[in-house]
Amino acid sequence: MKIIIAGAYAIGTHLAKLLSRDHEDITLIDSDEERINSIGGELDLLAMKASPTSVRALRETGVAGADLFIAVTPDENLNMTACVLAKAMGAKKTVAKIDNHEYIEPEQQEFFAKLGISSLIYPEMLAGQDINNGLKMSWVRQRWDVHGGALVMLGIKLREGCEILNQPLKDLCGPDDPYHVVAIKRGGETIIPGGNDSLQLYDLAYFMTTKQFIPYIRKIVGKEHYVDVKSVMIMGGGATAVRAVKTMPEYMDVKIIDTDEARCNHLNDIIDNSRVLVINGDGRDIPLLIDEGIKSTQAFVALTGNAETNILACLTAKRLGVRKTVAMVENIDYVPMAESLDIGTIINKKVIAASHIYQMMLDANVMNVRFLMSANADVAEFIPQEGAKITKKPVRELGLPNGMTIGGLVRDGVGMLVSGNTMIQAGDSVMVFCHDVNMKKIEKMFI
Amino acid sequence: MINLKIIYKIVGSLLFIEMALLMVCLGVAIGYGESDTTAFAVSVGVTGLAGLVLRLFAHDCDNTLSRRDAYLVVTLTWVIFSLFGMLPFIISGYITDVTDAFFETMSGFTTTGASIIDNIDNYPHGLLFWRSLTQWIGGLGIVFFTIALLPSLVGGSVKVFAAEATGPIKTKLHPRLSTNAKWIWVVYIVITVLCLGALCAVGMDLFDSVNYAMVTAATGGFATKSSLVLFTPEVQYVIMFFCFISGINFTLLYASVSRRSIKMLFGSAEFKFYFFLVSAISAFITVELMWKNGYGLEHAVRSAVFHVVSFITTTGLINDDAGKWPHVTWVALAICMFFGACSGSTSGGLKCIRGVMLLKTLKNEFKKILHPNAVLPLRIDGMNVPNDKRLTLLSFLTVYLILSLVCSFTMIAAGIDSTNSITITLSCLGNVGPTLGLEIGPTMSWSILPDYAKWICTVLMLIGRLEIFTVLVIFTPEFWKES
Repeated sequence: MKIIIAGAYAIGTHLAKLLSRDHEDITLIDSDEERINSIGGELDLLAMKASPTSVRALRETGVAGADLFIAVTPDENLNMTACVLAKAMGAKKTVAKIDNHEYIEPEQQEFFAKLGISSLIYPEMLAGQDINNGLKMSWVRQRWDVHGGALVMLGIKLREGCEILNQPLKDLCGPDDPYHVVAIKRGGETIIPGGNDSLQLYDLAYFMTTKQFIPYIRKIVGKEHYVDVKSVMIMGGGATAVRAVKTMPEYMDVKIIDTDEARCNHLNDIIDNSRVLVINGDGRDIPLLIDEGIKSTQAFVALTGNAETNILACLTAKRLGVRKTVAMVENIDYVPMAESLDIGTIINKKVIAASHIYQMMLDANVMNVRFLMSANADVAEFIPQEGAKITKKPVRELGLPNGMTIGGLVRDGVGMLVSGNTMIQAGDSVMVFCHDVNMKKIEKMFI
Repeated sequence: MINLKIIYKIVGSLLFIEMALLMVCLGVAIGYGESDTTAFAVSVGVTGLAGLVLRLFAHDCDNTLSRRDAYLVVTLTWVIFSLFGMLPFIISGYITDVTDAFFETMSGFTTTGASIIDNIDNYPHGLLFWRSLTQWIGGLGIVFFTIALLPSLVGGSVKVFAAEATGPIKTKLHPRLSTNAKWIWVVYIVITVLCLGALCAVGMDLFDSVNYAMVTAATGGFATKSSLVLFTPEVQYVIMFFCFISGINFTLLYASVSRRSIKMLFGSAEFKFYFFLVSAISAFITVELMWKNGYGLEHAVRSAVFHVVSFITTTGLINDDAGKWPHVTWVALAICMFFGACSGSTSGGLKCIRGVMLLKTLKNEFKKILHPNAVLPLRIDGMNVPNDKRLTLLSFLTVYLILSLVCSFTMIAAGIDSTNSITITLSCLGNVGPTLGLEIGPTMSWSILPDYAKWICTVLMLIGRLEIFTVLVIFTPEFWKES
């Protein structure tokens, strides 16, 4: 598959990293030599120094035969122009990153498709959705719906109240249990658990389950006393904050704290909502936070442009008794550090955007997939072919390699969990979790 | 600085328009063959001549209109229109005193509808028609009328429009001001014609129908008969309805009618407030009338709603002697006078939109005590009102109150009954018309006021009609400073 990425900025390089592991045929275009050099030496791809809107350069990259053209420079106009050109020159599918929420409205999609832009991504919008997902289920670190919700993956931090600590998983996840622990993050280490592993205090455990058993999971991990988030404090009134507030559920009260008075006034112009109170001040000013009732607030979301500020503000909020904190950390290197500091949800727009593009390809069945998450575990979706090795025996007898587990499968659109006795059939969509395993080895089982 | 020549030119041209209007009245007078024919003929001549002279003064003028010129021209236009508009009254001899005549004409153009005429029934048809016509022209504004008619005449018409338009927030239907003005005029004419048709249909004769249709649409309130015989219940309902309609923002009215959406009408915060005020105060007065005065239900409702609508739209027509009502109803009616109807309509007063904004400001202030750092929005129909507009609003209210206080004080000092003094002030500032009180009843004329009180009233009417700042700015030293 031939993929062209325009713009070697954070999203572009992250995406290139994800894709190059799949041995796709990737060309990365950027007009800046320095950026091109740094990425070209690191990854297995063709890096070209050219303007994404240069017709000649596009022709040279072979855009006519490209399956996918992705424009992710910071400039939305450049992205859209590049996509229009690429489509006209023969690219099959184009994706542009934009900064305008108007473009993303569903009724505009056809119009943009006509222009030559097949899909649009608006990272702030995606980040806003992620924030809201985190706030809606405050006891969950990460939630991921597979196959439109047929299967649900929940990342949960285990604390004292958890009922299933220190027991071998083989005793817990019997064939009839409605969940499956697919990965554990303990300290900095990722474990793909086998039957003899057990969950321990302060683990971050990833559960695979179906929608109706979410309340059951909540009960066994001892998070039933977690109050629902009814009031939220947001620090930093940028575009991400606006998107998050606009899509927030009706029952949440929001206070947005921003240091810039002009921005505060502008926020009042664009957010027409009586549940929102805009406050001019510094989110690090503790007396102000206490004045504004941080002690009766259930969630603190730090969304300034500065990762350090966000992390520190979240820590302060935690100390003041806020249970759920969300920090936007744009510096990818800081993400593990922030996680180790016990900040609830980390938002990184670049990773979210890159992952979204990746997922878009997945949904369109463009390729068989691998999907990277902050857990540092790979999630792969495989569709076994007729007569593949994996369809011949029940899962128990397959002798799966260490560091690999099957999370669940989707058969005829219905999500189901996999136990030792399950027989996988050709045509199922199987979710495989693995860490440090050669993908080729796994792939062989499905062919 | 002040470009006198362009002011001469504009005022001169406007006088030609006034001449044309007087000629219409001359036609009416000739048609009825009454004693006022000569008066109108002379007035036409004098006005035309004055216009001509002014145009001569404006010979090869520089066609740029600065902001100062615009404010000056608007104020002067209203004064000069009233000056020439009083000629027919004086020449015909029906009003002998200049003070009275000027008061009457200004009351006409500003759509106040307060009258110093005691014996209106002996007036010839021409003069009666002229009185109604002044209100009809003044309803939307003299200059606004000209913008629609002769867009090229007023060069910097946007500035002029800003000086004359009512309400704190200006809305536009069309990118071009003159087209905009034409559409607003279409709305106005449609209301007038429908009202005329409805009045004829319920049995009023043509001449009275025309007059009442004009003063209703303009929310003016000059009557053609001193008795209330004309006002059958049907007529009252018709006038009530059209007054209410004329009190709605014309732009909103046009948009709702053209989209046939009553929802859109009720989506406007200003309209909701207007509707709420009318319903609430009407209900209160109805109860009062039934309880204290023993009115029947229909009669009480009809009188209450008629008065409330008439006062809140600043029309000032009356169907009953409110002087005999419980005094607390006067307070309720004074509240109506103070608020007025919607901005962008023909009514006067503070305007409901300012009422809405003030209430929201109050709410914000209370919130601000609890959240001292909060930046609070003041949203009107989803739009956030910027801070400087909020300040303007508060200054407007302050000036409005100061003017009311000073004038009430002066009136009381002049020995007028205190209730009358307050309502006279509100009536003039809000361009309402009648006054409530022990000395002068709502059905009586204002002729017993001393001369200087009449002049104060005249000035107040103009200030009120042009939304205070337009007139007052001319009296600031800053206005006359070079550069």
